[in-house]
Amino acid sequence: MENIYKPYLAEIAEITDETPDTRTFKLKLKDPEIAKTFNFKAGQFAEYSVFGEGESTFCIASSPTRTDFLECSFKVYGKVTQALKRLNEGDTIGFRGPYGNWFPLEDLKGKNVLFIAGGIGLAPVRCVIDNVLDWRNDYKDVTIIYGARSVADLVYKQELAEWKSRQDIKTVLTVDPGGESDGWDGEVGFVPTVVEKIAPKAENTFAVICGPPVMIKFTMPVLKKLGFKDEDIFTTLENRMKCGLGKCGRCNIGNVYVCKDGPVFTYADLKNLPDEM
Amino acid sequence: MEEKIITRENINGLCRDIIDSGNVMIAPGQTEYSIVKDISQIALDARAKPTKASYKTFVFPKAEPILYYKRGKNNVQILDPEVEQKQTVIFGAKPCDTNSFGILKHLFNWDYKDEFFNLRENNFIVIGLMCSFSDEYCFCTSVGSSPVSDKGSDIFLIPLDGSTFAARIITEKGKEFVNEYSKYFTDGNSAKSEEITKNVKLPAVAFDSKEVHEWLGKNFEHPKWEGVGDLCLSCAQCAFVCPVCHCFDIVDEDYNYTEGRRMKHWDGCQFGHFTLHASGHNPRDIQGKRYRQRINHKFKYYVDKFGEILCTGCGRCSRGCAVSIDIKEIVSNCKD
Repeated sequence: MENIYKPYLAEIAEITDETPDTRTFKLKLKDPEIAKTFNFKAGQFAEYSVFGEGESTFCIASSPTRTDFLECSFKVYGKVTQALKRLNEGDTIGFRGPYGNWFPLEDLKGKNVLFIAGGIGLAPVRCVIDNVLDWRNDYKDVTIIYGARSVADLVYKQELAEWKSRQDIKTVLTVDPGGESDGWDGEVGFVPTVVEKIAPKAENTFAVICGPPVMIKFTMPVLKKLGFKDEDIFTTLENRMKCGLGKCGRCNIGNVYVCKDGPVFTYADLKNLPDEM
Repeated sequence: MEEKIITRENINGLCRDIIDSGNVMIAPGQTEYSIVKDISQIALDARAKPTKASYKTFVFPKAEPILYYKRGKNNVQILDPEVEQKQTVIFGAKPCDTNSFGILKHLFNWDYKDEFFNLRENNFIVIGLMCSFSDEYCFCTSVGSSPVSDKGSDIFLIPLDGSTFAARIITEKGKEFVNEYSKYFTDGNSAKSEEITKNVKLPAVAFDSKEVHEWLGKNFEHPKWEGVGDLCLSCAQCAFVCPVCHCFDIVDEDYNYTEGRRMKHWDGCQFGHFTLHASGHNPRDIQGKRYRQRINHKFKYYVDKFGEILCTGCGRCSRGCAVSIDIKEIVSNCKD
């Protein structure tokens, strides 16, 4: 019998602490046959499990162009993420996926790309950024605007430094007022304000935005003012999920199952959904 | 349609045969559908009140293991559970129950196939029984069914008199069943059963489901949702007794320090924690939004997605509601 609820086993190959409460796992699928054939697309998610504690939903944070490992980042919030945090390198977790749709990066070749992320919202965006950077010649201008509450809350510090050092991308980092520390050379201000200041051009550009709801709420009018069309703004929703398979009934918004019809949506898509985000 | 006759005495013989051969037999009792051990449990009374809960637990159990795990040092072993593969005969199900699997099939099979559901469902033989019960909560006729609907039945029984039943053969599965147990059936005369089904008193049609669908599409924001939400206790009994509610949770259950099982178990969209994000954000943070989800899921979303109403009109949710929320009344008022 094919068991759709059965996860693959994955080994935690490497642990990176991003912030005091956010951690990244580099994972290797244990079965070599599965590891060889496994593939996914930027924006898809998975169910990660600690046996005895349960499953939790996160995006795959690494790019599909980097095939010898998978990464996920999680913030310690609930039962499963607390249990994940207790694990060590070499330990085994369950991995079920990839699920859901993806960012249509193939179709968007030839365009400028604008990434806007806040806090842990950089995890799903990072996967897209790395994918775009690995296909750098297929896209025009690449702009990354990323903010967090404080310098300590910025995730993926290693990647941020790498992106900042590259001449072929524009990387703007910001922290909320009061969140700066000595030596901070980035912006100070909320993400919407910084987006307005940087004023990326909307023409021939697609935007990927992910972060806390309040950040998205105040950034959207800015993007509209800059001339971005709803169908050129992509985001990824992270509703509470259990099965990831369009069955358990939790993640729906209207007749859309976020786990199957999403998690990637354009703002034009979201406008057609009932106001129940 | 082929029709046979079976006497009450032969039904007893048939049921005894099924039980003796090691197959599972399920029948409605006074309050529940349960596995029949003794044939006197089989009432076959068309006038009986619907049981408190439907029989969905026999294909979609309240709780079932989806895997077993064993934790070792740096490793985990996963074992698949066995799904018992026994022919299961449900005898005397009401039409508002028989069509439930057909509705649920879409959900358990769109794209990803839930074989736990499918294996059990494939092993089911549904022997429906015409219904001549009706109370203020019944509304099968408003959701496209009726007390004489054979939808979802493999064989459909119509009581001709106290001691004989017409047995209409509805599906190929039903035909095979009748062939297997042919000694209990004799040839029938459909004129009499036709007359009986024509004379069954139908529950009045309470609403037009197409109009309700249209109204729901325009009234996501409406004061009635908060109104009924304030009344609701969020206990989710309505979901648990429903033949087609199917929300579930996935939870790990340790036996000891190294072993345990992952369970898939019933859940309900009326619980506040159902959609609660780890961050504390909750898209359906008040009961009114959760009740709105319940009605919309049944009469709009499921229709849009799978082309069927997620409701059989059995009225169990209303009959069992501790605060007398009546779905028929609420849906009937989904109009301007």
